[in-house]
Amino acid sequence: MTLSLAWALARRELRGGLKGFGVFLACLALGVAAIAAVGMVRSAIERGLTDQGAVLLGGDAQIEFTYRFANDEERAWMADKAQAMSELVDFRSMAVVGEDRVLAQVKAVDGAYPLYGTVQLDSRITLAEALAPGDLPGGVMEKVLADQLGLAVGERFKLGLQEFRLNAVLEREPDGTSGGFALAPRVIVLREGLARSGLLVAGTLFDSAYRLRLPENADLAALQAEAEAKFRDQGLRWTDKRRAAPGAERFVDRIGAFLVLVGLAGLAVGGVGVASAVRAYLEGKVGTIATLRTLGAESGLIFRLYLLQIAVLTALALTLGLALGAALPVALGPWIETQLPFPAEVGFYPRPVVEALFYGVTSAFLFALWPLAKAAEVRAAALYRGGIGAGWPKGWYLVAIAALAALLIGGAVWLSGMAELALSVAGGVAGALLALALAAMGLMALARRLGRSRFVRGRVAWRLALAAIGGPRAETMQVVLALGLGLSVLAAVGQIDANLRAAIARDLPTRAPSFFFVDIQPDQIDGFRQMLTDNPSVSRMESAPQLRGLITRINGRDAREAANNHWVVMGDRGVTYSADLPQGAKLTAGEWWPEDYTGPPQISFSAEEAEEIGLKLGDRITVNILGREIEAKVTSFRVVDFSNAGMGFVMAMDPAAVQGAPHSYIATVYADEAAEAGILRQLTKAYPNITAIGMKAAIGRVTETLTAIAQAVTIAALVTLITGFVVLIGAAAAGERQRRYEAAVLKVIGASRARILASFALRAALTGAAAGLVAIVTGAVSGWAVMRFVMESDYTFEPGSALMIVVGGVLATLISGLVFMLRPLGLRPAQVLRSQE
Amino acid sequence: MSEPVLKLKDVGLTLQGNAGPVDILRDISLLVPKGETLGLVGPSGSGKSSLLMLMGGLERATCGQISAFGQDLTALNEDGLARFRRGRVGVVFQSFHLIPTMTALENVAVPLELQGLPDAFDRARDELHAVGLSARGDHYPAQLSGGEQQRVALARAAAPRPALLLADEPTGNLDSHNGAAIMDLLFALRDRHGSTLVMVTHAPELAARCDRIVRLADGQIAGEGAA
Repeated sequence: MTLSLAWALARRELRGGLKGFGVFLACLALGVAAIAAVGMVRSAIERGLTDQGAVLLGGDAQIEFTYRFANDEERAWMADKAQAMSELVDFRSMAVVGEDRVLAQVKAVDGAYPLYGTVQLDSRITLAEALAPGDLPGGVMEKVLADQLGLAVGERFKLGLQEFRLNAVLEREPDGTSGGFALAPRVIVLREGLARSGLLVAGTLFDSAYRLRLPENADLAALQAEAEAKFRDQGLRWTDKRRAAPGAERFVDRIGAFLVLVGLAGLAVGGVGVASAVRAYLEGKVGTIATLRTLGAESGLIFRLYLLQIAVLTALALTLGLALGAALPVALGPWIETQLPFPAEVGFYPRPVVEALFYGVTSAFLFALWPLAKAAEVRAAALYRGGIGAGWPKGWYLVAIAALAALLIGGAVWLSGMAELALSVAGGVAGALLALALAAMGLMALARRLGRSRFVRGRVAWRLALAAIGGPRAETMQVVLALGLGLSVLAAVGQIDANLRAAIARDLPTRAPSFFFVDIQPDQIDGFRQMLTDNPSVSRMESAPQLRGLITRINGRDAREAANNHWVVMGDRGVTYSADLPQGAKLTAGEWWPEDYTGPPQISFSAEEAEEIGLKLGDRITVNILGREIEAKVTSFRVVDFSNAGMGFVMAMDPAAVQGAPHSYIATVYADEAAEAGILRQLTKAYPNITAIGMKAAIGRVTETLTAIAQAVTIAALVTLITGFVVLIGAAAAGERQRRYEAAVLKVIGASRARILASFALRAALTGAAAGLVAIVTGAVSGWAVMRFVMESDYTFEPGSALMIVVGGVLATLISGLVFMLRPLGLRPAQVLRSQE
Repeated sequence: MSEPVLKLKDVGLTLQGNAGPVDILRDISLLVPKGETLGLVGPSGSGKSSLLMLMGGLERATCGQISAFGQDLTALNEDGLARFRRGRVGVVFQSFHLIPTMTALENVAVPLELQGLPDAFDRARDELHAVGLSARGDHYPAQLSGGEQQRVALARAAAPRPALLLADEPTGNLDSHNGAAIMDLLFALRDRHGSTLVMVTHAPELAARCDRIVRLADGQIAGEGAA
């Protein structure tokens, strides 16, 4: 009965229209739309990655080996299972035209490539035609590489000692995503063409991959289990179309979840608007509520009556938001598909809608519940005096608010799959809201105090501004909370972005080498070293032999199991050997083997990784190097610094342990920037097979990726700020009536319009600055926490972006306020004062 | 004399103002028998409206005892007071206090709906008819004149056939012509339902229509007598 009565009364109230609910609807709709849109794009990519699995991978399944090709037994097994097979080799090398040498990612394929999908070239010929040998073997490369080399179609380039003719420009390779992050642009040639190149000799760093087309009903899981049981200890790595691009999937998943969490911060800003809008609406309803109380309505009925209205409005806002969030990605579908490095199937996906719906409903009621609870406490006497009181709502309302908050945070933890980050964001938002509330209270108290001080004597504009900030019914709390939280998110993103860039752009190059050289053959290393020693521009050079090995067992147990899937055991790692403790290396435990040691194999392990895995001195580690299993005893731990892009090996073995294994050398060269080009020319001319990786270019690629991520996060953060701005406009609009009255009274007593405007502007600027200052503090704390605990890097306060935040805060409040300041100024006092009577 | 509808003993009301506590009412002791029409008069700020609010349970006394229909109002919480008023107490305000989002008919029906009466709207129509506003049932308060709004408020107060009618300067916002019409209606409703009526007024001619007058000054009863 009471619910149906509440609903009947609610319907009557809602007939009056949605006046006063613009901010409520906009805040909720914007937040939900942002979350839904991010989710839609994420789902589109996930669907793209799943549906295009075989094409992305280049086969139904792929078997990879590092440093070697498949042996006869492995080939026979693959031939037995597959309907068709394609063999290819992937490695880095220098593409050379005359004196120009540019790092390239070479893919040497066979005639069966690609098993799935099509390679897109800029001309009408097929890949087979482009690669077919004429007078020279053919090749295709990405435009960026051809441009760097100044190469036109039809002209020649070299890989190692072999010349090729560029027959077409490569536009898109179907299996381009699954390989993960590439440091260099792509070249495709036939593998036969490399026979006389001097590349792919023993010890060269390369990966061989075998793509399999399997019968339609093939059981991928069973085949994987069989292949791994038979060959994993020989260094086999299995991937199949079920998860063709796990790296991309993980990346998209993480970025998607992160953006949703940023969106949630936006929803929290919207929540401030929701709470303010509901409170303002209910304050306008005090008369109605008190009348209903006079007529005998209980507080429960009042609560239900307005709860139902909020529910209807929430439904409307969510419908708007979800429609916008779902439609936007579809409308921008073609553009999104071309912008992403992944295949995306833009369309309608229910999961993100449900997710956004959940966030929208819980946050709407979480923020509306407090004012609703206070409204239910309005007494009949409010017809004469009082209104919605201050203080805390009754116990069970608080329990409900806490339960909703827990539901929202729990939902975010579960839906994002990133518990730590979700909890950190929730803690950050709660902390920021608390800091902002305290700041608003502080500002109000300070304004009241200053308003009575000597400072404002004779300064009418100041007195009025301070009175308005600190006075009863001031908008200060609402503005500082909404704008401050929006700016806090932006400040945090700004601080993190600036710190990451600084870490890469400023710190790394001062310590990083100019070049990495790989694939230096053992018979070339002495000459290579000599050449660099003779060059006065080279300040430092380090070289080490390198093999690649896969840890298969730890103390006889499966390594992945024993190390709990630690990254060190999940793929091939570089292994070096040395008779002496390398220069600069520092042992943290154990002892290095004697110089002439020839006993059972010994291994020195990186201290930090050893601790993470739980290794102790004396543990036995089995490493598969080129199909050969070597079991070595851990006899020392040493400090390895991976952060300076120098040489860092997780594992070092005694020379006797890996004697006879084919290997190459890698070298890092530190040289004057001006001399870098000359050194590169000299070395690669003398040793055409070696590959140089320029650190500046590599850093450039990393920075590009970082920029794209930062842009995505900034867009998400901007939605937060826009929501904050909506709240701000709402607050300014709500205060217009009050300002109209103030302006009229001031005019009566002789204040000029300029003075009144100055007072209004001062009020807005002070509030905006307070929100901006708190945002800087919360942004800096968040930035520090992310840099320190997530990135494990140093944090430096970046004043540039911080200053922008304060300026932005002041401008935002000024602009939003200005719109609603000008109208009151234009009204004649009599007009306003009569309407107040 | 019949059993009193309202009994007030040593009642006081103190409110917290910005400058400290303010005594609104002190030592009020009063009996209002069933069927009586009592006028509360006194200068502005003497506490008339506050006393009326205490009688209707719209405000809670700081001290003393108030009982209505044998029920101790000081022992009831806000919801208990709301239940007490439901169907038993009708209140008419100087500022009408109609619900702006509801039509005249709906405004009158609300107290009946709160009582859970299935024929709330039929009865509301009858009440509107009784105050001469049958044709204005679908109009919102903003579309009605002051006099019409007060008639709707009267119909709403009378709709539950209350045993106690409280009126706070019901003609204070009306011109003399409308004021007189409203007073005629108010007394007619009282007669129709046999209600006890307590009325705050400044107008001597209205006070003259009451059975008894209580005069307040500075929050205390300064005198009483027959009108």
